[in-house]
Amino acid sequence: MTTSGLVLTLAEDPALRAAALAALARDSRISVGEPSGLRLPIATEASDPRAAEALAEALGHLDGVRFVDVVFVHFEETDHGTT
Amino acid sequence: MERRDFLRSSALGAATVAASRLARGKDGVATPEAPSDGLTWDKAPCRFCGTGCHVRVGVEKGKVVAIAGDQLADVNKGLLCMKGYHVGLALYGEDRLTRPLLRKNGKLEPIGWDEAVEIIAKRVMANPKGFAVYGSGQWTIPEGYAANKLIKAGIGNNQIDPNARLCMASAVTGFLSTYGVDEPAGCYDDLDAAQVIVLWGNNPAEMHPVLFSRILDRRARGDEITIIDINTRRTRSSAFAQHVLTFKPQTDLAIALGIMNVLVQKGTWDKDFVAKYCNFRKRTDPPTLDGQAMTFEEWQKAIAEYTPEKVEQISGVPADKIRLLGELFGRRDLRITSLWCMGMNQHTRGTAINDLVHGVHLLSGHFGKPGDAPTSLTGQPSACGTVREVGTLAHGLPGGLVVANPAHRKEAEEVWNLPPGRINEKPGLHTVAMWRSFCTPKEKGGEIDTLWVQVTNPGQSLPNTNEIFYPSRKIPGKFLIVSDVYPTETVRHADLVLPSAMWVEKNGMFGNSERRTQQWFKMVDPPGEARDDCWQLIAVAHKLLELGHPGMKDNDGHFLFETKDAQGKEVPIWEWKHYYDVNVDQRLFDEYRKFSRFKHKDLAPYAEYVKARGLRWPVVQQKDGSWRETRFRFAKFDDPYATKADIQFYHSVTKDDRALVWFHPYDPPPESPDGEYPFWLCTGRVIEHWHTGSMTMRVPQLRNSMPQAYVELNREDAKQLGIADGETVIVESRRGSVELPCWIDGRGKPPRGLVFVPFFDESILINKVTLDAHDPLSKQPDYKKCAVRLRRKVG
Repeated sequence: MTTSGLVLTLAEDPALRAAALAALARDSRISVGEPSGLRLPIATEASDPRAAEALAEALGHLDGVRFVDVVFVHFEETDHGTT
Repeated sequence: MERRDFLRSSALGAATVAASRLARGKDGVATPEAPSDGLTWDKAPCRFCGTGCHVRVGVEKGKVVAIAGDQLADVNKGLLCMKGYHVGLALYGEDRLTRPLLRKNGKLEPIGWDEAVEIIAKRVMANPKGFAVYGSGQWTIPEGYAANKLIKAGIGNNQIDPNARLCMASAVTGFLSTYGVDEPAGCYDDLDAAQVIVLWGNNPAEMHPVLFSRILDRRARGDEITIIDINTRRTRSSAFAQHVLTFKPQTDLAIALGIMNVLVQKGTWDKDFVAKYCNFRKRTDPPTLDGQAMTFEEWQKAIAEYTPEKVEQISGVPADKIRLLGELFGRRDLRITSLWCMGMNQHTRGTAINDLVHGVHLLSGHFGKPGDAPTSLTGQPSACGTVREVGTLAHGLPGGLVVANPAHRKEAEEVWNLPPGRINEKPGLHTVAMWRSFCTPKEKGGEIDTLWVQVTNPGQSLPNTNEIFYPSRKIPGKFLIVSDVYPTETVRHADLVLPSAMWVEKNGMFGNSERRTQQWFKMVDPPGEARDDCWQLIAVAHKLLELGHPGMKDNDGHFLFETKDAQGKEVPIWEWKHYYDVNVDQRLFDEYRKFSRFKHKDLAPYAEYVKARGLRWPVVQQKDGSWRETRFRFAKFDDPYATKADIQFYHSVTKDDRALVWFHPYDPPPESPDGEYPFWLCTGRVIEHWHTGSMTMRVPQLRNSMPQAYVELNREDAKQLGIADGETVIVESRRGSVELPCWIDGRGKPPRGLVFVPFFDESILINKVTLDAHDPLSKQPDYKKCAVRLRRKVG
């Protein structure tokens, strides 16, 4: 399991922002925190670092998300034997 | 709480603090306590580039298992780029080197450390003049200091040079020839205040992404920032720039001269600043750092020919864009920061273009106020700290001193407690000359016969490797020693391989691009028999002492690296089992720190760096006993050594506290495209990989994102050559060739007539193709332009 902390920078357009928030809420891998302006902190869980990377990239392509910054990653129990 | 919930909560907590910082540009919520739950967290600077981001490293059961951006770090404010995010995994590639290896009958076979150390020492004893160390801007500060002391105070031939010669030597000579002392006056705080950012051949969106996002974050908060991208090919940074000026390679000199010309023609240069703080210089033949004095009127006459129209003819940049730049620099109401890195430094006129960009800022008075700064960035984590400050260059001594200066040698001999005259006044060989010597038989003048490489991969990163790396492997008697963590191209050709500890497997200190000295402690053990590079150097030094080398003793007959414990008893740190009985880093740093005052690069005591996320020198003690860093050098409002005027260049070449504004004419490059080799080749990096990829290519996420080098080709050129996207292309120069896939309209967009190839891929060694022509002063090679031809591979 790879757990990551990300900061999403959301679009200024309220409709796009709402769409992004709705999409995030639907995804069970994602926990959403308290926003600071257009910055939204989230935690993600994925099966391994590769899946975590793919998820972060997919979030970057979500309508209403302008940037994704990674600020935390816990990569224990990976397929590289790092535990 | 379940462990999974705990980790999720830790991740969300870190993200919440970072979001608050990003949104408000400062702390909005308290920094969370470091998570516990079996993990031990500590701080370290990132292992990769010269930005100097701090990470928090989570350790469990002796392994690094988590990485977080360090929210206490001013540099990155909790953020990391994709390389930093994966830095922990760089320790755990499956093919880490774990035992010393000696080449026997053509094969590398395991040997013991004692034998390895003895082999090196005996080779030094056999021919001390022929021994050289080739180091790195990835050496920690104590490692570089130990290597420099071993060579300069001990062996005495000054044969030490670093890979940083290949990346920032021209920035050094630019600072020296302009201000009389190395390293930027400004810092990253300038990026928070500038209204105009000029990128001179620089692509920070990929190479220094955390710094670039710092700029973009200001935009996201509503600040108006103009980014001007002056490049030879469009990059990711170009996408964020309001103005993209693509110039013909080498003609950046003409652009800088054109800006100066506009400032003079419009009368918008800062007359007060120039009158108070500047002198004028032109180059001599041969060139020197001091040059020849000229009056402002003579200088003005010299630049008169570089009108915007003339510059357009030379560079291809439209005259109105040159005027735009000149007009922006002519405005006093703006704050302007210039950024550059390899584009200006890897240049046969590297010193000249560095001088000219400094000159543009000085002439226009865009200097010495937050946001007004000419700032070079570095590519390695301690190119500044270990190379420029510790002086691990063939001519250098610690603290900005040089071997050719008798007074400097005397100072160094006093600090090192050496007999007068011990330090050799003759500089050693610079990187290209050192490797050429190693590739030349002794009977033909190739004195260097034993070369010890630490923390770098010259088999992949030197230019023109067919001439200055591989030939040595065929000359009897030439012995290559490599200390590294993975089997690189250099390791594969070594005679003796030493497995090294890496990053948080050892204590360390780095110095980043903004004069910030950083410290970390060892957190995990290295694998197998891998050991610290610093220990390797000290073990060889002690073996030389045992063998009777006279240079290994100081004036009192003590070992050069003598280290005592708290009770005053000598600790045999040359024995690995005792190396961590004391903090060797601290002992070396305490000694090195004495050098830092000679050029006003004052460092604080080691303990201050343990507490901080780095401190920017000069760090000066206050009346209350605290230690204060300096953000803006030479500016009276911040620099404690600038006392006489608002701006004081207190190491001025002309000894009058003034900086030098140079005139350097545009000259064409040594090799340009022609009928036979019609394309420019430019090489560089990509965001996923760091330098030769020896670490990042072992991180699956990074390798998968960018698995292979490519040649980036303009669509029209591809069409004309009949090359389709993805096809294998042969890129060939007068020196060598490589085969690699073509990428049309990929990440970067070269103009017609130019191709780009990244150098991270050890399976595609582009430096067989590049040119080793170098700047006459900095000796830095030009990796950014040589002539090549392309053809589609048939069959």
